[in-house]
Amino acid sequence: MPEPDLWSWVLAVVAGGFVGADAVAWPQVMVSRPLVAATVGGALMGRPADGMLVGAILELLTLRHPPFGAARYPDTGPAGLVAGAAFGAAGHAGPAALAVSVALGWVLGWIGARSVRLLRSLNARLLADVSGLARVPARLERRQRLGVALDFGRGAVLTAAFLVPATLLARAAPPAPGGTPGAFVVGALVLATGAAAGAIAGSAAGGRRAWLLLAAGVAVALGVGWLA
Amino acid sequence: MAGVRLQRRDFLRALARTFAAQGSWNYRTYVAGGLSYALLPLLERIHAGDPVALREALERHLRPFNAHPYLVPVAVGALARLEHEREDPERIARFRTALSSSLGAIGDRLVWQGWRPFCLLISVLAFSMGLGPWWAVLVFLLLYNTGHVALRAWGLRRGWDNGLKVGDVLSSGWIRRAASGLVAADLVLLGAVAVALCARIPAGDWPAWVRAVVGGGAALAGLAWPGALGVAAAALVVVASLVAWLPG
Repeated sequence: MPEPDLWSWVLAVVAGGFVGADAVAWPQVMVSRPLVAATVGGALMGRPADGMLVGAILELLTLRHPPFGAARYPDTGPAGLVAGAAFGAAGHAGPAALAVSVALGWVLGWIGARSVRLLRSLNARLLADVSGLARVPARLERRQRLGVALDFGRGAVLTAAFLVPATLLARAAPPAPGGTPGAFVVGALVLATGAAAGAIAGSAAGGRRAWLLLAAGVAVALGVGWLA
Repeated sequence: MAGVRLQRRDFLRALARTFAAQGSWNYRTYVAGGLSYALLPLLERIHAGDPVALREALERHLRPFNAHPYLVPVAVGALARLEHEREDPERIARFRTALSSSLGAIGDRLVWQGWRPFCLLISVLAFSMGLGPWWAVLVFLLLYNTGHVALRAWGLRRGWDNGLKVGDVLSSGWIRRAASGLVAADLVLLGAVAVALCARIPAGDWPAWVRAVVGGGAALAGLAWPGALGVAAAALVVVASLVAWLPG
């Protein structure tokens, strides 16, 4: 596996800016979702499938926090990209590196959420002079675009700050932890993935119908797997 | 004077700008800055040659306003229509307030709880069952954004066509049915994803079917206690990332 070079790092920071802005500011086409961002991160390390595995698990952990109104939610773009890059850089797709990468993505998502709140406070100052903005519409346009640019910068800074430490940490994780720790790691990943999926379902709906629908999905997938 | 004729490119400019509607989102005026930014091409045409009227219109629309970002075009179309018809400013203000709450609730249910998870889960399931990562990404982005862009374009059109009566369009049955249908589909997909994705987790000696069954069982438990197990799932991964360093 080739070592990531400076060019990969630069691309990752630029991509981090773009996925950081996409979640809220522009264009909201959802490349900021962990599924996409982590795949891009893994691809920058030469392992897109590994990135997507991280992204898929992070999706289940973050879909329970939709951006309703002013609710807090994890900033998934830069977090997903860094997590995917970390697991891709580990190079061996073992459960320990997977757990470390997903955990890093989760924590970084909430750190990013804090940076989003700070940016929103700054945005309030950008638009404070209502009469001035109304008198000179070009100022409103500049301020709006500046908000987008600041969000891009926020995502790029987060990525730049955490990408190298995250990849080093994932690389250092033991490839195949043995014994009880190894079994715990695998069990934890499986239980967390399943429980997170159920929790999303429970947040969206309840009652007997929800049980039947979720159970139907489980049954069909098990049936298909058994037949295959 | 409602005789000013808006041109197609004015609407296209406004629609394009709605993609940046949340660029200045803040806790004081919410999406008002972006709403005004998107309205500007239409307002400049409506109030051409009258900078005082343009300024007054912008001051109206820079007041606090919140909406789901994909439904901001509904507000853009409807408010542009009211401005075009020189509606009473007090009436515009009351309409804005009523529109804000419905656009938020409808969009949250339809998109954040319905469409987005639906598209993501299809992609995750396809990947878990063997589709290559870039194909899975493409499936998600194409599927999701077809609906996303169509919703924005629909919203702008309906807002402009209906003006004050756009609330009737928003409360029509198809939106509620679509949201309910998507949430139901999401539940089925979540069950399938819990099984298929767990089978893909690298696990050495654990057979795939064991992981799949455990994952499915955990999903059913998560449905019963979504708050507690949702938090526990994330905590479990963090703990696992620390346990992984222990000697075996």
